[in-house]
Amino acid sequence: MRTTESGSRRPLSFYILAGFFAAFVVFLYGPMLTIYVLSFQGPRGGLTLPMNGVSLHWFRALMGPQRTGDFVGPFVRSLALGLIVLAATVVVSIMAGLAFRRRFFGANLIFYTAVASLIMPGLLIGLGVGLMFQITGAQPAWWSSALGAQLTWTLPFGLLIMFAVLSRLSRSYEEAARDLGASGWQVFRHVLVPILSPGIIAVAVFAFTLSYDEFPRTLLTVGSQNTLPLEIWAMTTNVTSPALYAVGTVTTLISFVLIALAIGLILSIERRRLRRAVISRGASD
Amino acid sequence: MSRTTKNRRKDPSRREFLKAAATVGGLGVGAAMVGPAPVIWAQNIKNVTLRHVGNSYSAITDIGQQASKDLGFKVQMQIAGSDALINRAVTQPGSVDILDMDHWAYKLVVPRGVLQGIPLSKFKWWDQVVPIFTKGTTLQGAPLSRQGVLPYTIQYLEKPESIRFAGGPTDVISIVPDIYNADTLGYRPDLIERPHHWRELLDAKYAGKTAIVAIPSIGIMDAAMAIESRGDFKYKDKGNMTKEEIDRTVAILKQLKARRQFRAFWNSFDESVNLMASGEVVLQSMWSPAVTAVRAKQIACGYPLLAEGYRAWASGLGVMRHVKGVKLDAAHEYLNWYLSGWQGGFIAKQGYYSSVPDTAKKFLTPDEWGYWYEGKPATAPITDPFGTVMAKSGEVREGGSLWDRMGHVACWNTVMDNNNYMVQQWISFLSA
Amino acid sequence: MRLPGGAPPYLQAAPLALILLLFFGVPLLLVVVVSFWTFDLYGFHPALSLENYRQLLTATSTYKVYLATVMLALIVWAIALVLAFVVSYFMAFHVRSFGWQVGLLLICTVPFWTSDIIRMISWIPLLGVHGILNQTLLKLGLVREPLKFLLFSPFAVVVAYVNLFTLFMIVPIFNSMARIDRALLEAARDSGAAGWRIIAEIVVPLTKTGIALGSIFVLTLVMGDFYVVAEMSGGQMASVVSAMSNQISLLQYPPAAASAVVLLIIVTLMVAGILRVVDVRKELTG
Repeated sequence: MRTTESGSRRPLSFYILAGFFAAFVVFLYGPMLTIYVLSFQGPRGGLTLPMNGVSLHWFRALMGPQRTGDFVGPFVRSLALGLIVLAATVVVSIMAGLAFRRRFFGANLIFYTAVASLIMPGLLIGLGVGLMFQITGAQPAWWSSALGAQLTWTLPFGLLIMFAVLSRLSRSYEEAARDLGASGWQVFRHVLVPILSPGIIAVAVFAFTLSYDEFPRTLLTVGSQNTLPLEIWAMTTNVTSPALYAVGTVTTLISFVLIALAIGLILSIERRRLRRAVISRGASD
Repeated sequence: MSRTTKNRRKDPSRREFLKAAATVGGLGVGAAMVGPAPVIWAQNIKNVTLRHVGNSYSAITDIGQQASKDLGFKVQMQIAGSDALINRAVTQPGSVDILDMDHWAYKLVVPRGVLQGIPLSKFKWWDQVVPIFTKGTTLQGAPLSRQGVLPYTIQYLEKPESIRFAGGPTDVISIVPDIYNADTLGYRPDLIERPHHWRELLDAKYAGKTAIVAIPSIGIMDAAMAIESRGDFKYKDKGNMTKEEIDRTVAILKQLKARRQFRAFWNSFDESVNLMASGEVVLQSMWSPAVTAVRAKQIACGYPLLAEGYRAWASGLGVMRHVKGVKLDAAHEYLNWYLSGWQGGFIAKQGYYSSVPDTAKKFLTPDEWGYWYEGKPATAPITDPFGTVMAKSGEVREGGSLWDRMGHVACWNTVMDNNNYMVQQWISFLSA
Repeated sequence: MRLPGGAPPYLQAAPLALILLLFFGVPLLLVVVVSFWTFDLYGFHPALSLENYRQLLTATSTYKVYLATVMLALIVWAIALVLAFVVSYFMAFHVRSFGWQVGLLLICTVPFWTSDIIRMISWIPLLGVHGILNQTLLKLGLVREPLKFLLFSPFAVVVAYVNLFTLFMIVPIFNSMARIDRALLEAARDSGAAGWRIIAEIVVPLTKTGIALGSIFVLTLVMGDFYVVAEMSGGQMASVVSAMSNQISLLQYPPAAASAVVLLIIVTLMVAGILRVVDVRKELTG
């Protein structure tokens, strides 16, 4: 279908909607704008306009220790935790999503537990998980208790997104593949994954984002080394510097570079797959 | 207990002995405890890592690094907000070694039995600690306001394992007090006249241009200072209001809200700086480093003594109960290091006072000492711990000397007995 | 070999169930139990007291806060729904390449990788009385006085919520739309159906799972927030969770637990209401 469509000219509605989308992106980035601008404050500048000189001072300052706390350690921890949560959420939600395609004993209970887990105020989850670790004598840490607490938040999101991804997915594809002798794994790998890939990417992006910026659930479960949001939160009870904003600017820049690479990669894979698909379609016809 | 205390006070020789023993350092005491092999002990203590967890205005990275350098074992600083500190201390005491919180929070945490008292025999500076903490008085011996939580009332324990505070001085302290200050209202001298009373916060001429801190227990006290100053009514204890007082306060706050008196209640330090620096607000509750942060932007910001006095706070270090053996020796050694002057000199430049001014003095230039502690005009530019100029030559710290400021404390940061009710009323005020 | 595709459903759901049981089940149990306890300065006392619930349910502020929060949730939901629908429609039907779809989704996500806390602080220089927006409006002569309602107002809260939570509506709606066969739309167009009829009669019904899921996300996020509302209202509005967080910060767990139980019941009922309208699981098994 894409091949037939790509030849036609874009309708007017495309441009209207593209304009709408662009406006939405501007809105999303609105508060980021001041962050970007202010991160280039001079060495004497503060967190507000007007600018007090222009410099790269605060980007250099990022690498060293801050007046209180530092960014490097917490950033590494947050990134690692985000990736672990991402992996766990993708795997667990895909499996659970597939499970819900059939009726099974306890399905309702698990579903409503996930919904309740989404609703439960994060501070209380953190409190409960922290207590659990204290009682069992386990050391709370960002990679143990905080990971568990964050999963109670990312998994329900992942599961529910899988519902959107899997809805109206006819089981006939898998049955056909199985009839042709494909194993369970082959069905998953060659039939389900390609169909589900937008959804899987959405779950991955969501899980990472939710974890990377998580605050209430992590607050009381982090153990003795902070994640980035906690470090920043604690820093805001004292003099903070535009280095705080430099974190935002650097994060955005790195993200854009990574996204550009990712798009390039996906586009090239797509082109290859398209070529293969055309060939195989030709063969099956 | 009070008898032994009296004896102790009358008996300088015993005191001298304790001091001498302690001057050798926690090191000597520790070695005696561990036994025959001080060398092994010295190696052991090198392997200790103390986890110091506190507010970001107190648990400063540089302090931990300096301590590690001076002491030979590792001090790991973790910063956390007040709410996280209290909750972690109580529900996960194992994740903290040295707890560093605002003094009122210890009123909630000590009774939970997660801390251990510090015998005065292990702490060598007690004689030089300001009487605010040791006796609850000013240097001149005048009693301090007991509205809110006066630090002295949470200072002493009967025994290291006690969970109730002692009525008066004993040989065991609950926490080592380290920093304190007196807070007042900040204002923009370029935009409004110097305020003289707390009631000006409620003055209609500043409608829409004032702010209060959003932490209910402190915000309501700032409001109470203003309400009392306006003459609406007098509180028995602004730091521990009765339900009726809470109701009346909230009713007045609701009227003020309807009139849009307040531009905002700020939630974070930076917000208060931003509000003031942007001119969004011209008069508000503020913390002293926030005032200096505004000034660092070359924007004038005043922090005057008001007729009714200051709202003061203090902060202290507690040793968690699970800390034992060599680690406990290290903890005591760390506490002795903490008040030996380096930290006091460091935080003085942030506008805070040290509980042992004498040692802090050694780490300040005479000019800095004169400016921060004695209320004298600066003879050279005064810088903060990170080198930013805070005051030009000739400027004087508002409010004057340490004792000019601490002598005018009207109330202390607090947690109220009726806190639950107060929060409920505060929420109803917010949703009005 | 029985692997993910063909494994029995209870095995596939087991990891989810186990993680939730441990990290949500245990805290939930604690919360429910503690909500009946009493407390004083020295600790919590196991009891079977209804006092925490009585205090919560007899305070008029409770109802006011719930009403205010639900109103906020509805407003934010409506705005987010419209925005998300249009954005998703664009991404699903007008962006032809999968790579670009992912790219655009990521572009919408990048701001979220900068801490919420920093982003909340940075609204002041943007929307404040002396902020960029007001300065621009004044310069353009569109207003004579700076607009004060832009910041520290219910308006500001709604703007921030929409800014933060629309993405949670976009992702499920976009995924639902991505599953619509474009041939269906083309066939409808070929047979002369007007654009709005295609949307109303084909796209919306086939997207309703995504809409329902997005609605659940937005609803639970708004109902569970205490930070954004405090920050953007200038500390002058409360949410259901603000009282709770305040109690927790002073170790008053029993009343906080009671209020969590009530919140859990009410929001679960609301979600169940949404699910009655759209059964998100029906289309899975269909």
